[in-house]
Amino acid sequence: MNTAGKHRWIPALLAALTALSLAACGGGGPKNLVSQEDGEKRTVNLFSPMEKIDPNAENVARTASDLTVAMAEEALGITMMYRTYTAEDYQDKTYDDVCLDRARNNMDDLYLLNPDTILALGAEGVLEDLSGLDSAKNLREIIRTANTVDGKLVAIPQEVVAYGLFVNKDLFDQYGLDLPETPEEFLECCRVFQENGIDTPIGANRWWLETFVLAQAYADLYNGGNTQAEIEALNSGEARYSDYMRPGFEFLQTLIDRGYIDAEKALVSEAIEAEGPDFLAGKTPIVMAYWGAANTETAYGKTDFTMEVIGFPSSRGQMPVMPMTGWAVCSGGEHAQDAMKMLDVITSDEALKLYSETNRVISPSKNVKVECVPALKPLNDRIEEGVYVLGSNAGMNVEQWGNTCQIVRLLLGGASVDECMAAFDELQDAALSNP
Amino acid sequence: MKETTNKQKKRREFSLLLSIIVIFCIFGTIVLVVSRRTAKEMSEAAIQNLSESLDLIQSTIEAILRSEAEFQTLIAQEIARVEDPEAYIRAYEKNQTMSKLSLILSGKTEGVSNTGELFTEEDLDFSAGKTVFGLPVSQSYLNYMGTWSYTIKCPIQRDGRELGTLYAEYIYDAIDRSLPDGFYNKQASLYIMDAESQRFVLKPKGMGQRSAGHLNLTDFYRANDIQEPEIRAEVDECLSAGRNILFYHNIREVQALNYMWSVNGGTIFLVGYVPVEAIQQEGRTVNQSIITVIASLLAAFSLCIALYYLNWRQQDKLRREREEERRLHSQQLAEALQAAQIASKSKTTFLSNMSHDIRTPMNAVLGFTTLLARDAENPAKVREYTKKITASGQHLLSLINDILDVSKIESGKVVLNLEKFALNDVISSVEAIIQPMARDKRQDFHLEVTGIRHEYLVGDATRIDQILINLLSNAVKYTPEGGWIRLRIIGLKQRSSQYEHIRIEVEDNGYGMTPEYLETIFDAFTRAENSTTNKVQGTGLGMAITKSIVELMGGTIEVFSEVDRGSLFRVELELRILEEADRQFWAQRGVSRILAAAKDRENRESMAALMEGTGVRLDACSTVEEALEALGGGECQLALLDWEDFGLQGAGALREALPESVPLLILAELDAEGTQEALRLGRTDVLTKPFFVSALRAKAGELWDGADRAAGPEPEEDGGLAGMHFLAAEDNEINAEILTELLELEGASCEIAVNGQLAVERFQNSAPGEFDAILMDVQMPVMGGHEAARTIRALDREDAGRIPIIAMTANAFAEDEKAALSAGMNAHVPKPLSMELLKQAVKQCGKQEETG
Repeated sequence: MNTAGKHRWIPALLAALTALSLAACGGGGPKNLVSQEDGEKRTVNLFSPMEKIDPNAENVARTASDLTVAMAEEALGITMMYRTYTAEDYQDKTYDDVCLDRARNNMDDLYLLNPDTILALGAEGVLEDLSGLDSAKNLREIIRTANTVDGKLVAIPQEVVAYGLFVNKDLFDQYGLDLPETPEEFLECCRVFQENGIDTPIGANRWWLETFVLAQAYADLYNGGNTQAEIEALNSGEARYSDYMRPGFEFLQTLIDRGYIDAEKALVSEAIEAEGPDFLAGKTPIVMAYWGAANTETAYGKTDFTMEVIGFPSSRGQMPVMPMTGWAVCSGGEHAQDAMKMLDVITSDEALKLYSETNRVISPSKNVKVECVPALKPLNDRIEEGVYVLGSNAGMNVEQWGNTCQIVRLLLGGASVDECMAAFDELQDAALSNP
Repeated sequence: MKETTNKQKKRREFSLLLSIIVIFCIFGTIVLVVSRRTAKEMSEAAIQNLSESLDLIQSTIEAILRSEAEFQTLIAQEIARVEDPEAYIRAYEKNQTMSKLSLILSGKTEGVSNTGELFTEEDLDFSAGKTVFGLPVSQSYLNYMGTWSYTIKCPIQRDGRELGTLYAEYIYDAIDRSLPDGFYNKQASLYIMDAESQRFVLKPKGMGQRSAGHLNLTDFYRANDIQEPEIRAEVDECLSAGRNILFYHNIREVQALNYMWSVNGGTIFLVGYVPVEAIQQEGRTVNQSIITVIASLLAAFSLCIALYYLNWRQQDKLRREREEERRLHSQQLAEALQAAQIASKSKTTFLSNMSHDIRTPMNAVLGFTTLLARDAENPAKVREYTKKITASGQHLLSLINDILDVSKIESGKVVLNLEKFALNDVISSVEAIIQPMARDKRQDFHLEVTGIRHEYLVGDATRIDQILINLLSNAVKYTPEGGWIRLRIIGLKQRSSQYEHIRIEVEDNGYGMTPEYLETIFDAFTRAENSTTNKVQGTGLGMAITKSIVELMGGTIEVFSEVDRGSLFRVELELRILEEADRQFWAQRGVSRILAAAKDRENRESMAALMEGTGVRLDACSTVEEALEALGGGECQLALLDWEDFGLQGAGALREALPESVPLLILAELDAEGTQEALRLGRTDVLTKPFFVSALRAKAGELWDGADRAAGPEPEEDGGLAGMHFLAAEDNEINAEILTELLELEGASCEIAVNGQLAVERFQNSAPGEFDAILMDVQMPVMGGHEAARTIRALDREDAGRIPIIAMTANAFAEDEKAALSAGMNAHVPKPLSMELLKQAVKQCGKQEETG
């Protein structure tokens, strides 16, 4: 009986299997086999500096940036096209130069710009006014001020870039040295290091030595309680930039004269590439770099010694220097409007939170706060106290960051401090003659 | 037949296994070959596929370059026709393809550009000599727009005369627009590299910052970890020769095809990599499907094999179990057969021995009876013959007893009769038997007892007797005259507080045994065969019996022997300790302290150990002086003195010091000389060594209670049978006659009944007191002895319950005795009948009757 029952099921099962097989083999659909995408593909071109890739290192800054771009791409259905440039050596055009050329020729939609180019291009009217973006409403005031040119907010950063001295605390401890507060203390530390066989205690490159100068030049201006009046005096010509800059340049000259900095090497060195290996190897106790370098393995995110990041020596103690980099939209860019939308997303609170949490940096949004890595605590403490120097200020009629950098290179190249001061005077005079 | 089947089966299994392996191998080889071929073909296909794609891109770029060159030539021709070439240039508007148009007239170093500024060739590098369709092309550079570009220069000729040179700057972005929007599903990276500077002048877009981030060839190598010198050397060679190169190299741990593809004869190169998977997407799917199918097949195949293996294992296990069982059976059968053969052989040997052993005394009996018939008139001869007949009969009897014992032990019918006993009694009785035998052979027999803590034990004393007598009689037998024999009873460390652990050693300096004989000494039906021992009569069963009894008691027996040096038998037994309440005995007699003098420390310790628990303090001294001194320490009620240590002198000294009322016991060997003199000292007696509490207690009983009995000693009973009248149930006529004759010799009479039934009837019909006792054979026709006894006891007669019934049977074992007693009989006398034993039995029955 049971067997007979089973036998009855077999044809039914076979029939079901055949039906399933036929169903699997069949199927209809359009005859045109080419997939038809809806609408035209929207893209935005971004021009940014290129970081030389280390196959074995993780760059959290890049990851953080990519994450926010992916967020925007998903939200808007727009693809970000990367265009990059980095000078192969000091003889090449600089990234800033290329940025200027490209923006002036409307080559790209979005740019990641350094302070001097922001000011230059902003002044030329090449950049879009971003003040209407939703994300702009969340910006800290200092960021807004630093990036406003002729009343237009021309750039928005994803992180507040603060420069500081990266020191090998173990070496300081080894020679019984306290971390320096003033230029004099700094020179003393260098002396001790040199006496102990570290011939060149400061690792330098051709880009970031201006931080020493700016810290000393504007420590009082930004922290003396009379900032606005002093800037107005500079803009009117009552005060001279060279007067502010001189102590810093003389200090740098001393460092060069005593051999604490190798000027010749610095003049032809790219950032981190030249001084990084010796610092990581514990041979150089002091280098200068930006905040994010303490977080990323491609820079100083992974050291075998105790590293601390402090401000530059100044009359007011350790002084962080904060230039404002930022994203800007080229008005003549082919996809400028889409670029505006993209920027609105990647600088939104949500994106900045993701960025800051990934990269552990100070966010430009007043709504986003993230704990920094321990090494950055001394620098962060100063910033939280409100003690810092701006590396660039759109309110000054002479651009600071790029110009100081260029004039420091003159010093490195052998020019005297007076010649350097003359260069500042020339710039100021030119600015005064073209109001 | 079976073996052949097994072999065939094994062969079949092996063939099957071999087939599986072969199939597996073939299958594996096919899969390996197919997969290798597929991989190779796929690799070739991937290379071809990529090559075609790159060829296509190359052709596209070359087409652009050609059109640029052609276009520039056309412009040059047009300029040649215009009047003011420089004005033409200035008016020319830049377009998407051409970012800058410049002209330097012949003979000048500076020219004009459509961008308005002056133009020189200084910033352009044509030194590499590269051309685009015959027109020189510069090395790539960053132009005024901040983008990578190149310049092609073209001569302007008018009427065969060179008018100047036209320079057109092209940007790579123009090429970019003509390139595919990513290929291989955007997984391939594509850079354009200027061959001369090896800089990347066009980079992929929209692939993340990382992929867009190669600066030049060196950077490309570094970022993608291409460090192999061979690869780099080959790449360099291809670059300088303007040849294409494709090579495998992992990019971020993914297998990739890397390429450097020459464009325009090596002016520029397409550089990049494609993950192999991206090229072989369909191949991967096919591969996965193949792998899935293969894996499924393998799994199914393996499952089949596993199932087959499990089944085979189970079958094999069963088969092996059956084989093992069969083998075991065969082995057991073989062993049984062997044992049977050995037993048969042994028994044949034994029978042969026995027939000789039995015939010898039997021959003597018959021979002497013949002589007896002949010399019946000569009383001296009659006595001599009858003495010899008796001796032969005794020997014959012992032979038969041994044979019966062995057969009972072998059939497992022996049971131990566990009763309480005193070790002293066993040793004394054995000594009483062995000492005279040894003395007869002038052998020195010595008994030592050491370390015994408890002498009241539970066990089968008769069997222990048997063990000792067997061992000792053997020792006497196999030790020549003048030799020595030692019996040692040693108390070993107790394994359990409830058992006394005893070692019995019997040592002699006799003939000894060969190692071969030692191996079989405990086997039944063996006997040392040599000229010396052949003189000794024996069944060869004694040792087998001894060993069986020892093992039955849970003990062990060992033997050590050397020919002509002697033998040592060592028996170890554990016997349960019987806690005898001795305290009362001593307390009743007021004995609380005993003084003992013995030189040997072991003796003293042994005595003290044995006295433990009696409530009596034993002060053991090593010298008489010490003993005398100890006398002052308090009252003692008894003194012991070792005769061998101190002799008469010591005894005298001690006796003198002892109060009159305190008895002195001399501890001496059984046949110690001179003890009689000591007895004269007064209140002195002899206690036979070794020291045992039971013996001391008996002696103390005599000393204390003896006075009472001395007052009216019972006259020694005669124990004779004279005047008694017996009813004897005996079916054997000769036995009946012998019994009648023997009883008559003792002055008694008897009436024979030929079976139990008749005996019962006769007793039933007898007058009360007519018979003094009934002698009952056990095995009889009609009614056996046991039944007859039970019937008699059940009779309704006043004397039916008390008339002594004495079993008289050839069934002479303890259990036979037990059976007789339980049938209601009073005593048991074994056949052949010994009048002494009969007298004792009658006497015992008389006592029983008295006590009621």
